[in-house]
Order: sequence, then structure tokens, then C-alpha cells
Amino acid sequence: MITVDALKEYGADTETGLRLCMGNEALYLRLVGTVPEEACYAELLNSIEAKDYDKAFDAAHALKGVLGNLSLTPLYETVSQMVEFLRKRTDMDYSEMIEDLNKKMDALSVLCK
Amino acid sequence: MDRIIGNGPVKRRVLVVEDEMINRELLGNMLSSHYDVVYAENGKAALDVLSEYRGAFSLMLLDLRMPEMNGDEVLKKCKSDPMLSNIPIIVMTQEKDAEVESIRAGADDFITKPYNMPEVILARCERIIDLYEKKTLIDSAEIDALTGLYSGDFFFEYIRQFEQFNDSPMDAIVIDIEHFHLVNEIYGRDEGDAILRNIANTIRTELDKSYGIACRPSADIFFIYHPQTEDYSALEDHINKEIGADSLSSAKIRLRIGINKNVDKSASPEQWFDHAKLACNGLRRDYTKTLAFYDSALHEKQLYHARLINDIDRAIEDHDFIVYYQPKYGIQGEKPVLRSAEALIRWKHPELGMISPGDFIPLFEGNGLVQKLDRFVWEEAGKQIAEWKSKYGFTVPVSVNVSRIDIYDPELENTLLGILKKNELTTKELLLEITESAYSDNAARLIEVVNTLRQKGFRIEMDDFGSGYSSLNMLTSIPIDVLKMDMKFVKNMLNDDKSLKLCELVMDISRFLDVPVVAEGVEEKAQLDKLRSMGCELIQGYYFSKPVPPDEFAKFIEKEI
Repeated sequence: MITVDALKEYGADTETGLRLCMGNEALYLRLVGTVPEEACYAELLNSIEAKDYDKAFDAAHALKGVLGNLSLTPLYETVSQMVEFLRKRTDMDYSEMIEDLNKKMDALSVLCK
Repeated sequence: MDRIIGNGPVKRRVLVVEDEMINRELLGNMLSSHYDVVYAENGKAALDVLSEYRGAFSLMLLDLRMPEMNGDEVLKKCKSDPMLSNIPIIVMTQEKDAEVESIRAGADDFITKPYNMPEVILARCERIIDLYEKKTLIDSAEIDALTGLYSGDFFFEYIRQFEQFNDSPMDAIVIDIEHFHLVNEIYGRDEGDAILRNIANTIRTELDKSYGIACRPSADIFFIYHPQTEDYSALEDHINKEIGADSLSSAKIRLRIGINKNVDKSASPEQWFDHAKLACNGLRRDYTKTLAFYDSALHEKQLYHARLINDIDRAIEDHDFIVYYQPKYGIQGEKPVLRSAEALIRWKHPELGMISPGDFIPLFEGNGLVQKLDRFVWEEAGKQIAEWKSKYGFTVPVSVNVSRIDIYDPELENTLLGILKKNELTTKELLLEITESAYSDNAARLIEVVNTLRQKGFRIEMDDFGSGYSSLNMLTSIPIDVLKMDMKFVKNMLNDDKSLKLCELVMDISRFLDVPVVAEGVEEKAQLDKLRSMGCELIQGYYFSKPVPPDEFAKFIEKEI
């Protein structure tokens, strides 16, 4: 069962996240719970693998927005980094960043169970 | 709108267009306490929702990056669609670059991602909704829907704003189509409306040549505010063409244009057009012209007269009218002797100060109100004669004016006798002056009235003799006791031979009628000597005294006793 304390320990800025939810803790936790299933997360992984950087940028951009709004800082930082490379359609090895992203996403998934 | 929508069960509707579920939910959570929130997942869905609700949204929150149809495309479609263009749109974006482009496309505000605190977002939504609602109200009140010209209130407000920066002379023009309702009745409302639109277009074309603004304050009236122009005949011709003045002339439909040239900037814009309207209304009686200019001097005189007319009753009540007395002296003996006096009215207005009788007597003679003044003077003089009589045991007969209109009053005789009775006076003590011109007006009636008065013992003085048009024939039949020589003759008698001759002529007539003459306006001893040598018996004028209040006049009486 996900808790605010666990999220805080995970590195999320839960205070800001909760304020954005107007103090509605249940809403906040429910929305955070959907992040690992986010369509744009899967889209990002797939398009990077296919080196389709247009799609990858759109997906990363959308994901960044969601992560920012929920103040999931560790994930937000990684995705923001990717967005800046993808904005310039940089053709490079993203595996390290993807690994970091997956690791943080997995950790969040564990919290959500 | 907050008065009916803020406190009741009705909420404003807001459309959130956002493809990310998480973002939609966050916004929905923030907004739903204040608004009825509808969601769309992409641009295409947004347009469907807009059409389903017929554009009935107070606000749209629009994500720019979306599948199916991007936000900027929605933005463009909304701002070019009249049904949707009055929905404010707040764009949500993470990209700085997109902001400039969206603002060009018509976005009204931005919300950045990650979102600001809910309080900030709500405040921005509230502010933009308020702005738009007010703007919509203003837009609908600003323009006359039929002609596209301004509505009256806005017209005047824009003039005021314009005049803060304008120093050039301007004209205020009122255009009125007389009997325009007949166009609607004869040709139908649609045709009437079409003509009004055409007139508005004509006015706009004229304004395009220089600058200025116009409005349609009511059905068939147009106002134009325009830089000062000498020639308005082109405007006149064009509008006459629009109303088909030639073909419709049988239906009495015609154009009237009133122009207040070079408006007085110290007055209010409303007054400028009131004055132009006065000129316009002046044309009602004149079918030879369609264009007239406002005359401020004439208007001021009219206003002044209206004020005097309005104030007369209160002035009588408050004793703002004062009766002055000017002595008449008998000069045939060795020493001048006080014989009588003339009562003359003065008006001490509480706000306008002393008003010259020359300003109000002709006005009140013209409209009949002089009757009230005459009555007031009769009453005052009656009291005064009685007062002096009891104080000094000495009667100073006082002559009072009887105006033309009094002659037609069936109660005249009773009124005069009533005053005498009240003050225990005789008809020998209140003298009646009737101006010569009254005799030529309706001689038969006048002679009848004067005869009746004389039978009661009143003595009648013919005032301003020589200034009227009495025929010599009439003079022989006129019942009269004294002639008062017109003061113009006296004034010029020493330096103008003609005046002197006229004085002599008046003296001859008086001998023929066997009545004495009073010479008015005598200022110098030389005039007095000359008149005495001609046989004139009575003198009135500044040589002895100007008209004075009763207490000053008392000194003349005291000298006699």
C-alpha cells in the first residue's frame, strides 16, 4: 500500500504534490499509482529503441509534464535530462538514462503495490 | 454576472482539453469546486464538445501538445469562429517558445507545467472569465446592431476620451428624419431598416474622408462628431438621396440637419448635441431648408427668458419686485410743485441681481404675464398712497400702468375699485396710464373700457404719445385726460429741430384736446425752460429725480409740507 511517507522517502516532493491536489491525499496517491502504467512511458521506451526521436521527444515531454505535476522528483530529473537531448533529436546512446529511468520507475512500482 | 451566477446553483462551464489523464484529473480537482468541468482528450474531441454545447463555455484550458489535433489548431479554429471567439483560452505549456506563437494565435493567458499552485491557477481563470464577460457586455452595448454605429452612451464616452487629447474645433451634428415611421408603415420594416443602414453607411463614408464618430441614439436620429467643416451640403445631398427625398416627398418624409458649429468645450458633450438638436428642431416650422446652425446668443436669450418666466410667480410672492416712484412736478408756477408720481417696477432677482425693466417688460407684455405685474404694482401703489396720506395728510396721486391685456380683462374695473376701497382712496388718487399703441390695437374695445373707467372717475393718461400710430381722426374720439409726451422727443429737442417740432405738435394737439401734457425724460434745465415756454405743465425726469424707493420719495413729500 502506497503512503505519502514512503513517497517522501523515495524522493518525491510530496508537499508540493499534495498542494497541487488541494490536499487530497487519496487523489494524489491514486494518480501516482498510475504513473508506472503511463502510456507515454511505454511509448518513450519503444521509440528510443526504434530511434524514432520525434515520437520519443513527444513521449518524454508528456511524461515530464505528468511527473512534474506529481512532484516525483527523481523520475522528473531523469526525464527532463532526456527531453533536452531529444529536443535536439540527439542520436546517442540513451541506455544509461533508460536504465536509470527504469530503475526509478520499478522502485515506484514496488511502492505502489 | 457574479450577482446571479456566483451564489446560486448555476456554475460556469469550463472545458479542459488535455490528453494526459493525470493532468486532467489534477485540473478537474482544482476547478470543479468553482466550475462545471467538461473534458476533452484531444483537439478533435474538443471541437466536438464545443459544438455539442454550442460554445456555451466560460473558459477553455488548452494543452498545446496532443495527439489527433494539436492545441494550436484548436486555438486558430476557435478564434476565427464567431460562435467560439468569445471563449477565453488559457494555453498550458512547458515550452517557452510556444508561448509567443500561441499569443499570436489568440491565446489569452498561459499556465506553465509543472502547474503553479491551485490558488494561482484559479485566480487566473477567474480573472480571464471576468474580463471576457465584461468585454462581451460592453461589445453588445457599444454598437447599434442595426447600423454598426456606436450606441448613444458609448458615443459620448468616446467623445470624452477623445477630448482629453484634442484641441481642434469640432462640430456636433444632429440628423433627424422627420416622419420616418411612415417609411416603415408604407414600405415595411425591412425597407425602413435598409434605409437606416444606408444612411449609416453614408455617414461612415463622410467620416472616412476626415475623422470623427457617429451614433444612432434613437430610431431615426443620428449624431455625428466631426472636425469643424464649412460645407455640409454634400452630406445633406447624400442622405437626401438615401431617403429618396424626391420620391417620398409626398409622404412628408424629410431630412433635418442641425449643426452646432465649433462646440463650446466648456459645456458637456450632451449639451453640444442638445444645442444641435435645438437647431434641428427649429427646422420643423421651416420647410424651405433642411440644414440649420445653432445660434448660441439666441439660445441664451431664450434660456434667460425662460428663467424669467419661470421665476415671476415666486418673485411676486417673495417681493423681489419693488415699486419705485418718480415724481412729476408742475412747472407753470414760480416754483416747481410736486403734483403726482409714476409707479415703476424694478426686479431685484436673488441670483441675477437687478434686472432691467427693458429685459422683462416687453417679454411679459408678449406673453400676457404683465397682467400679474400690473396687478402687483396697483396693489403696492394703492397701499403706498394710503400710507403717505395718513402719514403726511397729503395725497400724492400715483399713475400706474394699464397694459393692453388688462383692457380685455372683464374684472379690470372691479379690481381697481377693490384696491381703492381697501385703501380708502378715490379714483382721483390712482391715475391710469395706457400706452398709445394700445389704442391702435383695438380702438373700439379700448374706448369702451376707458369710457367706463372715466365714468367711475378715473383719470386716463396716454403714455408714450407720439410713438404710436394714432390717426388724427382717432385722436378726436379718444377719451383722454392727460397726454404723456414720448421721452425720445424731449431727449433730442434741443439738438434736433425735428424733435422740437414734434414737441410743439404734441402741445398743439393737447390744446386741441384740451388736456395737459406731461413731458417725460427731462434731464436739463434748458429742456425744462423750453417746455415751460411751450406751455407744458408737468415734468417728469432725472432733472428732478430718478425713480426712487418709497422711503426716499418721502423726502419729496416732506419738502412740500
